[in-house]
Amino acid sequence: MSVKIEASEGGRPHNEILGFGLIGSLVCIYLTYLNVLTGTEIFSFFGGLGAVIALAWGSDTIKHLCSYGLGTGVPSAGMIAFGSGVIAMLFATKFGIAAPVAALVIAALLGAVIGYVSDKVVSMNIPVMVISLIELAIVGALTMMGLAAMAGGSFMFADLVAGSTTVFGIEIASYGSSVIGGSVLAVIFILGSIAVQHPFNACLGPGEQQDRTLMLAAECGFLSMIGVAVISFAFIGFGSAVVALLVSIIGWAYTYMEYIKLSRRDAYDWLDAKPIHEPKGGA
Amino acid sequence: MSALGGGAGGGEGMNPTATIVGLVIMLIALAATFVVGGMSAALVLVGIIIGGVLVGFGVHFVPVGGAPAAMGQAPGIATGVAMLAAGAGLAGLFGGAWAAELGLAVALAGGAVGGGLMMAITCMFVNIVYVFGMGIPSASGKVDKDPITGDTFPAYKSQGTEGHGLPFISYVGGVIGGALGGLGGTLIYLQLLFLYEEMLPAMLNASAEEILPVAVSLAGIFAIGMFLVNAVIAAYNITGTIEGPHDPKFKRFPRAIVGAAIASAVCGLVAILIVAV
Amino acid sequence: MENLVLGIGITALAGALATVAGAAEDTESDIGSQGDPNSQVQLAPQMGYIHRIYNKAVSGEPPAYGLWCALGAGIAWALMSIQINAVLAIVLGSAIAVFVQGVYATTAYLGRTASLAKFEQPVYIDIIKSVTTVTMAHAFVAIFTTVAMCQLMIVALGHPFPLPLLALVWGIALGAAGSATGNPFYGKERQYQEQKFGAGVPISASGNIVRYAEAGQRSSLDNGWFASKLGGPASGICFGLIVFLELWRTVLFEQIGAGWGAIIAGVVLILVFMVIDRYIETWARKTYGPYVAETEEAAS
Repeated sequence: MSVKIEASEGGRPHNEILGFGLIGSLVCIYLTYLNVLTGTEIFSFFGGLGAVIALAWGSDTIKHLCSYGLGTGVPSAGMIAFGSGVIAMLFATKFGIAAPVAALVIAALLGAVIGYVSDKVVSMNIPVMVISLIELAIVGALTMMGLAAMAGGSFMFADLVAGSTTVFGIEIASYGSSVIGGSVLAVIFILGSIAVQHPFNACLGPGEQQDRTLMLAAECGFLSMIGVAVISFAFIGFGSAVVALLVSIIGWAYTYMEYIKLSRRDAYDWLDAKPIHEPKGGA
Repeated sequence: MSALGGGAGGGEGMNPTATIVGLVIMLIALAATFVVGGMSAALVLVGIIIGGVLVGFGVHFVPVGGAPAAMGQAPGIATGVAMLAAGAGLAGLFGGAWAAELGLAVALAGGAVGGGLMMAITCMFVNIVYVFGMGIPSASGKVDKDPITGDTFPAYKSQGTEGHGLPFISYVGGVIGGALGGLGGTLIYLQLLFLYEEMLPAMLNASAEEILPVAVSLAGIFAIGMFLVNAVIAAYNITGTIEGPHDPKFKRFPRAIVGAAIASAVCGLVAILIVAV
Repeated sequence: MENLVLGIGITALAGALATVAGAAEDTESDIGSQGDPNSQVQLAPQMGYIHRIYNKAVSGEPPAYGLWCALGAGIAWALMSIQINAVLAIVLGSAIAVFVQGVYATTAYLGRTASLAKFEQPVYIDIIKSVTTVTMAHAFVAIFTTVAMCQLMIVALGHPFPLPLLALVWGIALGAAGSATGNPFYGKERQYQEQKFGAGVPISASGNIVRYAEAGQRSSLDNGWFASKLGGPASGICFGLIVFLELWRTVLFEQIGAGWGAIIAGVVLILVFMVIDRYIETWARKTYGPYVAETEEAAS
């Protein structure tokens, strides 16, 4: 017997979150371009912040989609989002400075086709299917682009395939030690696809509250940033990577604390080492 | 997968308009590939579409019972369908990718055998746990007789359940599903790998050997991405659970085949464009 | 010849690592209550059964283990590329991945439990303190062995995939094998141990999970020793066999018939397992017998 997926009504309207997520993540990803303009790598962490904003938006979309009941688990939505998102994002990196916008457009096209297929051809008949999968594909592409930019310092294909390795103390160029050649994208892919589905999957139930779910989404984003920040030591300068790591840890610690506070607010009771509380009616 | 929520998926049958619209999208994708990359690129896309279809079709064979299976309330393997198929298909991809240098035929067969072997072992252990750990014989809930062995099921179904365990037909279905998933995933991977190995050296101005890691990584991550897209579409088609090829839901597979073909065509087009433009 | 001996040695080592990984994976997921059986932990309070069981609803085990292993491998790969020793890099990578796993586990417990406030299910924070660390310890074993196994496959056997990609592939396969094998044992045998042995849980009993232990109240920690009775080792052997045989058939037979030798060996192995499975199935039918008289059923 499976449990009905329930979610709260009310809270901020989804369109508001959509607009904020879309613009916020695009702006943040573009801020990593300051690396090129100033000739440093210190601004890489903005890519991660873009990913955090995109993930918050995506988790709200998943809540909308999954409250219709997909017949399979919530995580599948994260998988399809990033499965299409990674394809769009990689192609988009070829467009140079226009890459984030290109990712948005290509992901929207891919999401529209996959949404149409799921809704009409496979006959899911869920009214928000097409628009949700468009949103999720964009979230997937922008999250991956943001985290890739955070790891490698740039969102352009030429930079993401170029790396260097040290052999006997001499730096040599090597495609194998780049963000793409080392398959760091595989890590970012799975980091993002778990992070986007986890907030709603973890908070679903009759007492779900939007602010708590979104706080958890931000927490998952910062947590993913910590992993990417450690990986970025291989690609960007030591100082820049330390800055990225500090930003991630501070962001994570803050959102985690806030999330615990919100959980405490919503919980029926908050007990430490107490026996099972039997409800008044009895079992 | 924590399979929460009831299925909302539609009934049987195809939606004719949607199918035609979808096939037109697929043809447009093929034509676009032909215009941009010529005949060789179009053939790569055909390979990707076939691979995607194999993945989508293979998922229908994999016996997955979801949450009820974990309680012995329904037959099948107690996990999520898309992810179980991914586990088998990617284990196949491991073998296929390893054998890539031995040529297309051997690598494809290696992928199929790898996926099938993974499912053969996993399904056997499911029955071991059911029989020796829980003392429960296998019984299907959807049919009264195993189409392969002729075993009867109603008497072996414990009270208040829809059956349990993995009857032989489901076992065979699991192996076929794993093999098709491994075959499809490997086909997508190899098509992209060969294309990238051919095109990337000129694009990046480097030798074939130098770009090999980039080609492998790109093809690998694309193969995983497309595998998951197709597996999830197929999972939506069967609304989460299926017993195997004898399940009435299995008859829905044409929808998933059309769906997987369209989705693979569009995703494949984008994956090809990355080196063609 | 020397190559072959080395290959077989690596195969055996990888198989052993995989066995440990599978056993640790299933034990971890049962202690934390992850995957499909967790739906009952979620359901119980709604049926009026308040409990003190962990609720680690991160996602199914395959994607979750895909993440832990890929993240551990990605960090290990990055550290190796800045010239840190491989063993140290894998340990550090696994440690950071386990940190992420622990955080995900706590947020899942808090989130799911807080959303059940309507059914008067309180949050027991002592559960978070005691259980999370134990699942993290088991997860570390699973992640470290999987990443080490992937590193062996690349360095010693020459697999073309980079480490993070390979770890993603095997992490998902690990979760798939572990959840398929271990879930029924935890879900039916443990959560519903008061129900009749040798039969499935009647759908009407859903949600009535066991909440009290031999003494006191059941803690998820008790599920650790239960899983290690059968579910854990079975998952371990399952994943170990998958990895071992997949490598074994390739290492030993790939030279025969331009690669077809390995294919034939694989097909033969599949047939062997099919026969074993059929034997187990008929053995159960004969030994346990039907629940109701067969003739009566056939007539109806």
